[in-house]
Amino acid sequence: MAPRASALPRLMAPRKHEPTGRLTLLHVLHRGGVALLMLAAFELLTGCMDGPAPRPSIAYTGDPIVDGNAELAAAPPKDRVLWDDRIAATALRLGNFDEAKAKLDDAIVKGGGIINHTADAAKARSLFHPEDTKTFIGEPYERIMDYYYRAMIYWRDGEPDNARACYRTGQVLGSDVQTQQYKSDFVLLYYLEGLASERLGEDASDILARAQALTKRHLPPYNKDANVLVFAEYGHGPIKYAGGEYGEQLRFYTEESPIRSARLTIDGHKVGLPPYDNLNYQATTRGGRVMDHILGNKAVFKGTTDTVGNVAFLGAAIAANQNSRQGNEAAVGLAAIGLISKLASAATTPRADIRAWDNLPQFLSFAALKLAPGEHSGQVEYLTRDGETDPEFTREVTITVPADPSANTIVFLSELPH
Amino acid sequence: MRVINNPPEIATHRSRKFSHTMNTTHRFLILSSVAATAAFFSGCASEGVKNPSGVPVTQMNPDEQGFVAGTGVESQDLVTVTDKMARSILSTPAIASATTPPRIIIDPVENATRFPIDKSLFSDRIRIMLNSKAYGRVVFLARDRMKALEHERELKQSGQVTSSYDPNPVAFKGADFVLTGKLGGLTTQTSAGTSDYILYSFQLIDARTSEIVWEDSAEIKKQGLEDAAYR
Repeated sequence: MAPRASALPRLMAPRKHEPTGRLTLLHVLHRGGVALLMLAAFELLTGCMDGPAPRPSIAYTGDPIVDGNAELAAAPPKDRVLWDDRIAATALRLGNFDEAKAKLDDAIVKGGGIINHTADAAKARSLFHPEDTKTFIGEPYERIMDYYYRAMIYWRDGEPDNARACYRTGQVLGSDVQTQQYKSDFVLLYYLEGLASERLGEDASDILARAQALTKRHLPPYNKDANVLVFAEYGHGPIKYAGGEYGEQLRFYTEESPIRSARLTIDGHKVGLPPYDNLNYQATTRGGRVMDHILGNKAVFKGTTDTVGNVAFLGAAIAANQNSRQGNEAAVGLAAIGLISKLASAATTPRADIRAWDNLPQFLSFAALKLAPGEHSGQVEYLTRDGETDPEFTREVTITVPADPSANTIVFLSELPH
Repeated sequence: MRVINNPPEIATHRSRKFSHTMNTTHRFLILSSVAATAAFFSGCASEGVKNPSGVPVTQMNPDEQGFVAGTGVESQDLVTVTDKMARSILSTPAIASATTPPRIIIDPVENATRFPIDKSLFSDRIRIMLNSKAYGRVVFLARDRMKALEHERELKQSGQVTSSYDPNPVAFKGADFVLTGKLGGLTTQTSAGTSDYILYSFQLIDARTSEIVWEDSAEIKKQGLEDAAYR
């Protein structure tokens, strides 16, 4: 007696009245579908396993440079520039220009080129990795500050042409090329470019005019005899946070600084240090990023797969209630689709990168002075909106001017803590 | 007696019906699986973004029409430019026809590009190439070491160190020529990328007459587009 067809495993059972070829194709497709489902689930699960390496513990010393470097050593490579930036700002405020120079050079080398075809950037664009998977180089206002601070050190090293190069790159970074709506409006990048050109024997009147067109504040004409360059900063810069349903929108938290100006008194002369540039404004007024579009797509995918999952589970529940074999099979299939969709939705990470150079100032100012060689004592005061001095931040300063008339003395004044 | 539980025509009908239902179910499952998986794999967050991976930086001829605008000074540019300048200097009549090797000092190159660089690399490599390949046809004076040289001379003059010659007469030689240069740049930036053109120009100036006895240049244009993750 021939065995009954129903005794064979279901997928192996030959069906009557159907051509053999069609049977085979259906079987292959069925198996393929199951395999694809399994593969998709496997991809999801393996994708979720790609977690960060454990972070080494740090023994803090209280020295911001030592601790910062310890953080840098413990940080993943993708965060290296972030720590370079933070340490550089701290080092400048401590007067450690060599440390700042090393860190800024590292940041500029890593973020200054054309970055493409890198695995971490591709991951950051993929559905299942957050944006902060990519190597941090900062948003344009942060990258500009790398060059702004580095230019200060080039001035100090007697290289005004390289300082000018930094200002020029800053201008390029500050332009919004995606929407073509914004040209760089960073006043000091132009003003100081002009100053460097003047020092190099060029006529910078057009650059000064361009800088003046960007601000209502009166920019002082270039003083060719100035041998002391004062860079001042006050207020706290922007902080990033993630908005939107899935955190896919990069947003900035800005807090208006109570300090709105500074004043340097040196040898009895008062030198105003008004805010020529506002980093909060720079961070929040630039046009959208291409990455915002990608994150938006991720968010849509996450929402859609979640909805598909809900619908599939609902369909599965309805099919299961039909109490039929066909209904049960359909329920299983729909449940599988629902599961895959839910897994896909859960694994999709549209979260925006909110790593931030979080010790930047809000306001930037500058003044050029002519001082005789030798030591000069004075003080710097920080003023509120009403022009009142905030005594908490008043500092004594000593400026030492070398006898070499070609040397530039750089004075860096910061209201921010180390 | 033969009992037929399922008459053939009924069995066939049921079988067809079941087969049809199963086919429909299978097709639904398969199509749904394929669709879900295809959507899963093809669902790309970069959709709608041109060149999501960016475009590799490509070096182009300066007169070639680029698709955007460029990027910075790199080691290959340094080598290319300084090789060309060293060869060009040696072929200039002021050097090639000189009866005694001309003495040259280097005035630092001026950087007028948007790229902060170590400018001394250019003049250093030209000097190295000429010193190593020109077999004494030019002589460079170490003016950048004058402080150390003067200190050594003072030590000899004061008798603090020995000397194999009379240290009192001025023996530091003057230059016949000054070698200098300038790096100029143009930057273009659009949504298609960034392009930088850099003109490397060098001059040999007669120190006595201020005549420019030799001048040459090299041009390099580069362009590239960053990964969308950074745009």
